[in-house]
Amino acid sequence: MSRAVAITGIGMITPLGKTAPEVWAKLARGETAHAPPGSFDAAAFACPWCAEVKDFQPELYTREPKMLRLMNRDSQLAVAAAHLALADAELRIGVDYPPEAVALFGATGTAGMPLGEIGGLIRSSVSPTGQFDPMRFGQEGLRAINPLLSFKILSNMPVCFVSISENIQGPNAIYTPWEGQGAQAIDAGRRAILRGEVPCALVGGCDVKTHDQAFLTLEQQGWFEPWKQGQIGPVPGEGAVFLVLEAEAQARARGARCHARLAGQGFATRFPGESLTEACAAVLRQGLGTPPAAARILISAADGNAATEQAEVFALASQPGPPAEKIIRPKCQAGNLFAAAAAFQVGLGAWLAGQEHGRVQAHCFGHGSEQAAFRLEAP
Amino acid sequence: MRRRIVVTGLGLCTPVGSGPGDFWPNLLAGRSGIGPITRFAAGALPVRIGGEVKGLDLPAFPEAEPGDDRKVRLGLAAARLALGDAGLAEANLEPGLLSVGVCLEFFSLERVAPVAGAADMIQALARQWQAGAGGPPLQIPLDFLTQQLGKHYRFRRGWSTNCSACAAGAQAVGEAFQRLREGEAELALAGAADSTLNPLGLGGFSLLRILAQENDRPQAACRPFDATRQGTVLSEGAAFLVLETEARARQRGARIYAEITGYATSLDAYRVSDPEPSGRGAVRCMSQALADAGLAPEAIDSINAHGTGTPKNDLTETQAIKQVFGEHARRIPVYAIKSMTGHMIAASGAVEAAAACLSLYTGRIPPTINLQHPDPLCDLDYVAGQAREFAGRTVLSNSFGFGGQNASLVFQRLADEPLDGLANGPGGTAWAGTGSRPLLSSE
Repeated sequence: MSRAVAITGIGMITPLGKTAPEVWAKLARGETAHAPPGSFDAAAFACPWCAEVKDFQPELYTREPKMLRLMNRDSQLAVAAAHLALADAELRIGVDYPPEAVALFGATGTAGMPLGEIGGLIRSSVSPTGQFDPMRFGQEGLRAINPLLSFKILSNMPVCFVSISENIQGPNAIYTPWEGQGAQAIDAGRRAILRGEVPCALVGGCDVKTHDQAFLTLEQQGWFEPWKQGQIGPVPGEGAVFLVLEAEAQARARGARCHARLAGQGFATRFPGESLTEACAAVLRQGLGTPPAAARILISAADGNAATEQAEVFALASQPGPPAEKIIRPKCQAGNLFAAAAAFQVGLGAWLAGQEHGRVQAHCFGHGSEQAAFRLEAP
Repeated sequence: MRRRIVVTGLGLCTPVGSGPGDFWPNLLAGRSGIGPITRFAAGALPVRIGGEVKGLDLPAFPEAEPGDDRKVRLGLAAARLALGDAGLAEANLEPGLLSVGVCLEFFSLERVAPVAGAADMIQALARQWQAGAGGPPLQIPLDFLTQQLGKHYRFRRGWSTNCSACAAGAQAVGEAFQRLREGEAELALAGAADSTLNPLGLGGFSLLRILAQENDRPQAACRPFDATRQGTVLSEGAAFLVLETEARARQRGARIYAEITGYATSLDAYRVSDPEPSGRGAVRCMSQALADAGLAPEAIDSINAHGTGTPKNDLTETQAIKQVFGEHARRIPVYAIKSMTGHMIAASGAVEAAAACLSLYTGRIPPTINLQHPDPLCDLDYVAGQAREFAGRTVLSNSFGFGGQNASLVFQRLADEPLDGLANGPGGTAWAGTGSRPLLSSE
């Protein structure tokens, strides 16, 4: 018996909305979440905008509100999105499946925080000559640290908080730090189901690239180059998206609605210095079922970076078959969610596949070495 | 039929030794790698001890720029040693998989300090960077080591960076094992690297009160399963394993240390700071790994414990072992090499996987040192003080991590491998340091 894997739950906390229909409606209206950062002055950076999640109340999404003080924003977003995904799937852990039969695979981004949160530590640890002084750090700087800092900088914490909040006890792993690793998390859940290890997996990612330190890190990685060249480039965003994957037969047996079936996937590693186009084309040549461009809807990886967009276009052009009827570029309106971006692309694609009863292809191309794409079909 | 996956190369950089000639003999001799912190002025920190890797001689990686990111240096060195040990230093690795475990990102306080007096530090840093002031970036992404290894050795597919904290090393090895077993490739380089021995790492962990603060007796500070244990000791290190299908390894006449036969993970879903007291996550993890290997509990001959030396972890792990193995638990030697290496966080699971392979390959198991005051609640055979001969065929290696992530690996000696495989290895003296097998005394 084939073990088709279905997406039965979608949970998203994104700059464009907190449900797939809401995000889709705003995309269709051409709304964007791009705006100057609310938490710092971006004047020093070429990119003046970011895409923030507004009106986020983390206490609404967890059974363990006391834990919120241990969490950074990445973790709070992850816990909320995971909760929404399980609610969307109407999945009761401990009732529909035992906790150990649910896997959890997530992706997290570069662990960062607003520099202000450790500003006291830094100022207390500087010598009169303006150098970092480990002795001052030990004597005074440590007193300025939140004792719970480690919980906010360890990259595995968002997923661990999800497991605690939702009582998920099954197989797990956490990948970092880009969109491609988010795609790997989705695939890890798919493979765990296919090998019969679990009937259900919660997969997704979270990231926050809207604070000052994240902007500095992106600046140092050259991510703002298009902006420096006078173009409207990619916009850093924040958010979390989780998806409930289930063995389709078992999902149907419990009466679950299936948004879409994971019908194919492709992965390729972009070797440093090599063309992104070739890596994207290599992805599209793998396992996506019928010719990739035959998808009715294409969730493009385009995020405003002309080089990425060009690579995607050329890769598509190298594939046989007719073009997609619709091309959607969610990152151009919701910002780039980095480690959460793959789940965002796939989640939106799954919802559209279910709504329009069509075949959707979601691309996870861009920064980092790992490139991926998923094919989604109406069940 | 499942493909069989074997370990054909080991590379380590640890506080008890980095080369093949010193890591394993030092471990068997019970030598601690813990000492006063020397890499920075730690005198004002509450914890001033750790396990530093000494004499790290990084082979030339001209394209790598690890800067001050110590874990990257350690990882590059360990990976090179592993591939050399497997006889693959010059091999075409393009079809292979690369699976890397890491934990904490490098964050340069030194870079921020000069602008600490600025009204807006981030603006000052950004302008400094844009002006080409040079220096390392504020943060180095966690996949930097993966990128460097992939690029240098030209792995062409499946680069994976796992950040599952203390379970990351075991998960990196376990995932590579699964993917090879499922036919995705024939070969993988899998392992992990980490260093928390910097002001922010050591300071941050010390605030969590999980570290032993016995600065005046560093070598005795980490005491897994001892009644007087006070906490773990942070250290740094890296280990990489070369995994291959048995068919490929046989075809090229490779030395085989051990076979990996089982892997499982679980979550405690309890607290981010403490293990779940009943040990349910650890129980499930070990049980699933045994099931994956197709082994009954009675078939396990030794356990390479997570054994951190924290009061809660050691008790929970002991109770979990008893639940899984029943009466057989008292017959299994359970050893904790963190008593000598300290806790290398992400790297620990990979280093301990390598130690498990070496125990099967050399027919010896290392001791748990500093165990002098038996804890009535930790009442298994912890191989206290002295290494032992080991004629068993199976090892279970546990990594139970911060945040509640657990991973267990099962290693087995191949049926046709001689007990003391060392004599057949290249160089003859590679891992055991001696051809004979006397019982070794700990220091």
